Amino acid sequence: MHLLVIEDDPLLSRSLTQAMSRHGYTVDALSRVDDAIQALRQGRFDLVLLDLGLPDGSGLGVLEWLRAHADPTPVMILTARDALEDRVRGLDLGADDYLAKPFSISELEARVRALLRRSQQRLDNSVRFGDLVLDTRSAGAWLAGTALDLPRREFSLLEALMLNAGRIVQREALENRLFGFEAVGANALDVYVSRLRKRLAGSGLAIRTLRGLGYRLEASRETFDEARHE
Amino acid sequence: MKRLLQSGLGLSLWLSVWLSLWLSPGGIIGVAEANEKLIIEAALDRQIVEPVLAAFAAENPQIDLDYRDRSTLEVDRHARDRDSPPDVVISSAMPWQLALSNEGLAQPLEAPEVDQWPAWAKWRDEVFGFTFEPVVIAYRLELASHMLPPETHRDLLDLLTHYRQWLDGRVVSYSPRDSGVGYTLLQQDARYTPRMWDLIAAMGAANVQLETTTQRMLEGLSDGRYWLGYNLIGSYALLWAQTHPDIIVQVPNDYSLVLMRMVFVHRDAPHPAAAKRFVSFLLSRRGQHILAGQTPLFSVRDDVVGPYTAQRLRDQVGDHLYPIPINATLLAFVDSLRRQAFLRRWDREIQILSE
Amino acid sequence: MISPHTSLKRRLTLWLIVIVAGLGTLLLIEAYTSARKAADRAMDGQLQAASLTIAESLQWPEGKPTLEMPASALQILATRWQERVFYWLQADNGLSITRNAELPITAAMQEKARHQPVYLDAVYDGQPIRLSGREVDSAGWDTQEPVQLWVGHTRRGRDLLAQELFRKSATRFAAMVLITAALVAIAMRTMLAPLRRLRQALRDRRADDISPLRLGVPQEMQELIETLNRLFADQRHHRDALLRFIADASHQLKTPLAGLQSTSELALTRRDPDAWYQALTTVHDSAERTSRLAGQMLSLTRLQHLGLGHERQPLALDQLMQEVAIDWADRQDSRDHDLGLAIEVTTPAWIEGERWALQELLNNLIDNACRYTPSGSEITLLLTNDNADGDAERVVLAIEDNGPGVDTESLARLTQPFERGRRQDTHGSGLGLAIADSIALRHGSQLKVSTCVPHGLRISLTLPRCEPSEESET
Repeated sequence: MHLLVIEDDPLLSRSLTQAMSRHGYTVDALSRVDDAIQALRQGRFDLVLLDLGLPDGSGLGVLEWLRAHADPTPVMILTARDALEDRVRGLDLGADDYLAKPFSISELEARVRALLRRSQQRLDNSVRFGDLVLDTRSAGAWLAGTALDLPRREFSLLEALMLNAGRIVQREALENRLFGFEAVGANALDVYVSRLRKRLAGSGLAIRTLRGLGYRLEASRETFDEARHE
Repeated sequence: MKRLLQSGLGLSLWLSVWLSLWLSPGGIIGVAEANEKLIIEAALDRQIVEPVLAAFAAENPQIDLDYRDRSTLEVDRHARDRDSPPDVVISSAMPWQLALSNEGLAQPLEAPEVDQWPAWAKWRDEVFGFTFEPVVIAYRLELASHMLPPETHRDLLDLLTHYRQWLDGRVVSYSPRDSGVGYTLLQQDARYTPRMWDLIAAMGAANVQLETTTQRMLEGLSDGRYWLGYNLIGSYALLWAQTHPDIIVQVPNDYSLVLMRMVFVHRDAPHPAAAKRFVSFLLSRRGQHILAGQTPLFSVRDDVVGPYTAQRLRDQVGDHLYPIPINATLLAFVDSLRRQAFLRRWDREIQILSE
Repeated sequence: MISPHTSLKRRLTLWLIVIVAGLGTLLLIEAYTSARKAADRAMDGQLQAASLTIAESLQWPEGKPTLEMPASALQILATRWQERVFYWLQADNGLSITRNAELPITAAMQEKARHQPVYLDAVYDGQPIRLSGREVDSAGWDTQEPVQLWVGHTRRGRDLLAQELFRKSATRFAAMVLITAALVAIAMRTMLAPLRRLRQALRDRRADDISPLRLGVPQEMQELIETLNRLFADQRHHRDALLRFIADASHQLKTPLAGLQSTSELALTRRDPDAWYQALTTVHDSAERTSRLAGQMLSLTRLQHLGLGHERQPLALDQLMQEVAIDWADRQDSRDHDLGLAIEVTTPAWIEGERWALQELLNNLIDNACRYTPSGSEITLLLTNDNADGDAERVVLAIEDNGPGVDTESLARLTQPFERGRRQDTHGSGLGLAIADSIALRHGSQLKVSTCVPHGLRISLTLPRCEPSEESET
């Protein structure tokens, strides 16, 4: 993975480079808008970490350039400005994610992973997460190499969760996906979730319930909710 | 070009000023025309006032003086003439002059001489008393050899009473009926003392002869027809006495009336500018100076020095001079009812002792 | 002519001019008429005197009236202004006794004079004259023919007298006006002196001087001074609060920074990687903490120094809460907690609010809950109806946790800056709730802090619902 970091603060730039390198990514670090555009013109990158407050112009300029050239490279905006306008503008202009400074490195790493995974998923038809692999074309799922025979709705549910692995999928969205506009009981979804959970037991992956919010597929930990909801 | 314009402007300005002055009736400055006429109706002997007239004529050669010497009655009549009024009216008939002013036939005069004129000698700034003529007793010198000459009114009464036979038919005075001046003097006498009527009665008893002018009285005295005259106009008498040393003029010591001849500019004067010049001249220092030096009319102004000044008269006679006041009281004398009553009384008194 | 900006002096001057002009005109008119009347009275007195003198001289010998015109009467008539004089006597049967002018005396006039002496104006010979007429009877045994006795004179003296009197009045009036104007000008200066003094006192102050204003001023201005002083007191209050806050904050900042400094300094003297590791851990923690504190302080300052919440707009609170909750749930910071959302009102729940502020509030509340509860604690964001009044017009936004909670004593102080309620905290700033409280205040509400049963903390605020806007926030 080739990453581009565009950040003018030397300390932060170094930290970012080190953090990303640790994960085995190749990192190029630049500090000016025109340098960045030059680099983007010449080479291809898998992800761009973009600081907005650059010395020779707002980082949004880079973003505009990218999208103007229909370049789908995922961009994560880093900004000290926590104003809503900047965030909205950035996302409107086509940024994929935004992180406010100061941020913790682990937060950054998680988000970068998520972004990379998503862009990866757009490229090939299989979705991976941990030991789980999903082929969206053939509607097949494998866990640690073993094929899972999933009924349609379970597959649909798993697919939704895997496409947004590490992020919450809202309940309503899942219900719509599974049941369409059919009228179903409030617990219908829960049933499917618990079934999936059984299949994933011991896989190192878990479906976490977030009350009132939705569900999330994540790497398993000694979470309490499994104990609570089973 | 500019200079031509400027001079043209200046010239037209100058011309217009001249033209306006020339065309204005009299105007402020009162520039008289060449040979302007001046009609003066006067009850004042020309020969007496001649020096003043000559001086005025000398200073104003362009003015044609038309001096009409008449009786007081005629003067009054002419003053009331609507068709051809005179310019200046002079008369010794003081009540009638004031009546003319009261009827609005005089016009006010604006001149520094008017402002300087004493207030008691003018009325409404229209009519002015410009002479100061004492009213006198006159007698033939011979009288003194027969009796004590009278110095006061009282003396006169005594003489007439004690020497009635001697003086019978030899006393002369004004006829109040026929002479405005005479009437005025008697009215004024009556105002001062009711004893005047005693004098009248005494005169009547002495068959007093009545004349209409001081002149005729003086002639009679010199002729010998009269030996004693009462209420003569002092100016004429003094003048006469200068050439007729047999006539003695006596300003009464107890009181003496003073006649002030009055002058005014007629409201409808045809030559107002000239008229105003003339009257101003009469009232001026120069005019009064001539009056005081060359006429026996006695000047009024107190800043004039000469033989015939009011001041000199006062010094000589004392404070018994009673100038006839120039004010509205004079109008009472022209009241017909009062006049008739007075004359009726006069008639009665004259007869009273003769019976 | 008179706008709110017109100076007091100008206003007063204009008013005075109007009053003086108005009253003055009336006064002058009155002065003129009374001058004329006075002149008339004075001169009519002369007419009367003359008339009476003539009347006394009337005789009726043999029954027919006759008169010896008294000269003095005519002089009285003439007065010192030397008027033209007129007299006119006529017996009642129309027979003239004597006259010196054909005066315009009508039967009506004679009728009036029959009862009492009359004084009236007339015109004769083109000139205005004043006439007085009376009827005179003889006193005696037989009633004799009464006589109409009329006297008159021109008006010159009268007019002069009237003018003189009026001129005197006018001069007096003018003098009075001038004196009054001068006095008023002086009075105005004196009246406005307190204003000037106030202006001067304020000018003399330094820009940041907010001590109370002590100035001797008249009663009317007292209120102004008091209001100013209240304003100054408020500002002093604010300033004191700010200073206190700065003192607190500075202390709060300096402490971790000092720790940072000493820890790193110490670590530099060591060569032991374990020691370095420990030191770095501490440094990292301090850095995080200081970073967070700085951010919070900026938030708080911003909130306190912005104006009142005028930028409130209708927004769907439930949607906002969901967004924030999802955002938090996706973050690493909350993965050790069970964060949940419970919307229990009819949606969408429209309230008037500032989006960014409420977002900040929610962030702070959740952040607070995460910090002060142990791993595995439940944190729930709630939106319920306010049933206290029994109306569904108000909604209650709340956050509840089942952590250890806070003792009752500290509950009340929890929203004070830097108050942790005796709770252990590693990286919190102590400002989170203070900021949330400020935001609540901006929205016309207030944070309520209470304990959950059996343990835990509940923080809530109540907001009134509003009408949704045409462009609804999604």
